Amino acid sequence: MSITAWIELIASGLITGGIYALVALGLNLQYGLMRILNIAHGEFLMVGAYLTWLVQTSFGISPLLMVPVAFLVLMALGVVVHFLCFRRLTATSPNLDVFEARGLMVAFGLMFLVQNFVSWMWGGDLRGYDYLTEPVKFGEMQFAANKLLVFFLALVFAGALIVLMRMTLLGKGVRALMQSAIGAQLMGIDTKRLHPLMFGIGLGLSGIAGALLSMAYTITPYMGQPYTVTALIVITLGGFGSMGGALIGGLFLGVIEALGMHFTNPSLKALLSYAVFIAVLLLRPEGLFTRKSRKA
Amino acid sequence: MNSRQILIRDVLVLLAFAGWALALPHYASEFVTSMALTCLMYVALSSSWGLFCGSTRYLSLATSAFFGIGAYTTATLLGQFGWVETIAIGAGIAVVVAIVMGAAVLHLRGTYFAVLTFGMTELILHAVTYFEKSVTGTVGRVLTVVPENQVIYLTVLALAVLAVAVSIWVRRTRFGLALMGIGADEQRAQTLGVNTRLVKIAGFAITAAFAGAVGAAMAVRWTYIDPHTVFNPFIGFQTVLITLIGGVLTLWGPLIAAIIFSVLAESLRLQFPQIYLMSLGLLLILCVLYLPGGLASLRWATFKGWWTDTRDWAKDLKRELSGEKEREKQRAKRREKESHFV
Amino acid sequence: MSEHAIPLLEAHNVTVRFGGLVAVDAVSANFTPGELVGIIGPNGAGKTTFFNAISGVLAPTSGRLAAHGRNLTGRGPHRFAAHGVARTFQTPRVFADMPVAANIEFGLKFAGKRRRKYLFWGDEVDVPWALRDATSILALIGLSEQAALPASAITPSQQRLLEIGMALATRPKLLLLDEVAAGLTEAEVEEMARLIRRLRDELDLTVIWIEHAVTTLLRHVERVIVLHQGRKIADDTPHNVVRNPEVIEAYLGDEMAEPGSETEEEVAA
Repeated sequence: MSITAWIELIASGLITGGIYALVALGLNLQYGLMRILNIAHGEFLMVGAYLTWLVQTSFGISPLLMVPVAFLVLMALGVVVHFLCFRRLTATSPNLDVFEARGLMVAFGLMFLVQNFVSWMWGGDLRGYDYLTEPVKFGEMQFAANKLLVFFLALVFAGALIVLMRMTLLGKGVRALMQSAIGAQLMGIDTKRLHPLMFGIGLGLSGIAGALLSMAYTITPYMGQPYTVTALIVITLGGFGSMGGALIGGLFLGVIEALGMHFTNPSLKALLSYAVFIAVLLLRPEGLFTRKSRKA
Repeated sequence: MNSRQILIRDVLVLLAFAGWALALPHYASEFVTSMALTCLMYVALSSSWGLFCGSTRYLSLATSAFFGIGAYTTATLLGQFGWVETIAIGAGIAVVVAIVMGAAVLHLRGTYFAVLTFGMTELILHAVTYFEKSVTGTVGRVLTVVPENQVIYLTVLALAVLAVAVSIWVRRTRFGLALMGIGADEQRAQTLGVNTRLVKIAGFAITAAFAGAVGAAMAVRWTYIDPHTVFNPFIGFQTVLITLIGGVLTLWGPLIAAIIFSVLAESLRLQFPQIYLMSLGLLLILCVLYLPGGLASLRWATFKGWWTDTRDWAKDLKRELSGEKEREKQRAKRREKESHFV
Repeated sequence: MSEHAIPLLEAHNVTVRFGGLVAVDAVSANFTPGELVGIIGPNGAGKTTFFNAISGVLAPTSGRLAAHGRNLTGRGPHRFAAHGVARTFQTPRVFADMPVAANIEFGLKFAGKRRRKYLFWGDEVDVPWALRDATSILALIGLSEQAALPASAITPSQQRLLEIGMALATRPKLLLLDEVAAGLTEAEVEEMARLIRRLRDELDLTVIWIEHAVTTLLRHVERVIVLHQGRKIADDTPHNVVRNPEVIEAYLGDEMAEPGSETEEEVAA
């Protein structure tokens, strides 16, 4: 296979990987900070996609503009969802395991609500729109412009989040909470405000991912589910709680999938991700991209 | 001997239920019988699911995968083997898959396990499709040899009764105690001698066996089967929803909920499928938040509790809106006065 | 007993590392039947981590663990329990929703289960009389009246006794007690120490006891292991350990600082 073909292949893997990274970062925030495994995470990605599509087809507004809008809308939605659904769980669960199990069940119910709401309102058919579909050339290689844009923006937002977590006081507070909830609270970090905000940001990220996806791919009410599972696999690859790891893990998984699909068979994509996941769990459970530091 | 009395009661109720279900086809219409069949299917699925997932809190979302495996086995083998053998083989293959997947992922936390089993249906769907395309060259299968409706009904009834009976029995064994221990405090149970890995794999395998058997039996209701029809995640999800809403730790909660929801499903699902699913989702959320024991734990005390809770919340709100303001004003005034003395 | 040749539990150069932090640093110790050993050390010395390692809850990063000569390094807690290692946890981990008696029966049914004399009935073989069933164990630890109450309904100090009862239900040869006297009054600590001694004597157990209440522990144990920053710095009789300069330095300012203090006289008694 020629060099250009290789690069195109890897690039297409990176593009999907960028989306994986975005979704995984959002899930990481929610699970790493609050131990809420939001199995409905992919559904909110779908909501972001539908929102963008709606606005684009009804009002002709550019999806690029919708990206920050999708973020804000989904973030607000996230805060509301957290307030309505998850806050009460913290008070009523006797221990962490029960809290996690209940959080999962609530998220499961949410998945049904959101998925079927969208399906009810807009039907189950594939939808889509055209945006920047002209190909862009780099020497002999050729990419669709919209896919390049998707990759670029995914990296930008992922990077922005990582910078936020590292540099700002808010980010440091969140990372402190992730490492030691009680210690951080003793330092005066207010979880009551922080948790809904971070949950919202997590959902906002998946909203961005959905908006980006809608630019280049068709959307259906059922598109979200695979991304949730992939996000979990990425978090495991990258190291639970590590933001940088989620980014690199997402890109890495995207590339592996692209290579695997090319050399074996597209329908084995799921099998490949699962195989990678199980291999990582067995051989290096703390993640591929973290320093070996198991929590005490 | 309270435990003995409970056992007798449970067995009697089970027998009554079985008797009623047996008699049903003789006097009810075909529509009602068909509804009863779906109901029995979910009784079998949710009782076996609740047995493992209820006590250990490892929520398996892989029921559809095992159902599909059973169904596909029937589609492939029914001509060559007898009815009962095919069902047994279907259950057997599901068990093998469960053991393999269980060994790989059951040592994870419950939440990881849930999300992984969530994707398992898709995974196995793709694997089967790939296998069919490349190895056997077919994409779907047609069922030619189909047993009578009566046989199907009796088989599913037998599976349902067996599932409930196994639930009743396991609760009284060491295995059931181990499952409860895992749910209560897994590490503690380990230090007391429970081989949690083995117990979890065995429990998971039981859910797989029933799901596979039920899938194998119900497959004949379709004439044409392809991977997409049988590996439908909806079946697994509805099982989970029913059991959680019914009361996952109880024996009869899943059964009652299965009956209620099968009836609801048949009436609503065909006309307003999305609304049905949305209300299931909403009901689940409400249950987890306000009634974690499920419908089976509803007592008069629960209603009273909700009433006092709402009343307290309203009182709190009123106090906040009015009282705080008053106090703030007074505090501010006091501070002003004190600052004059400085 | 001729079985003193093979120690009950051997820990050889056991190291437990968490990333950059070395919690237990090449600690070696052998335990023989019938000993009453105390493990002390300032905060962060690695005592509980060491317990976690020798009960199988944590796999050591390096080193070797063996029970009755059988290599158990890296095996899970249920293997250790099967070989007679029972433990309690610092914060009592009882099964809150089950009645007290059921909590005890749990251990009896798993690691504590023994072959019966006539296959399916008759008494269990090789079981100390005091541990024959849940009722006798409850009587031994003094919780007979609370048998039917749910474990969440008894007081914390009763829960601690229940923890010990649950561990005893596994019919162990080695009992690991993790700070069972924490937060108790002086009198209660004395009572606990006497109970522990009684358990050791009547049930032919080896007891390893981690404690912060150093004074009382030193009075009742026959051997003391001192851990400091993950390393073992002393392994001797209480009499000698109290005079060990390294130990004194590690505890500088704590209870057992100087020779000639009250502690020394008590220990000599």
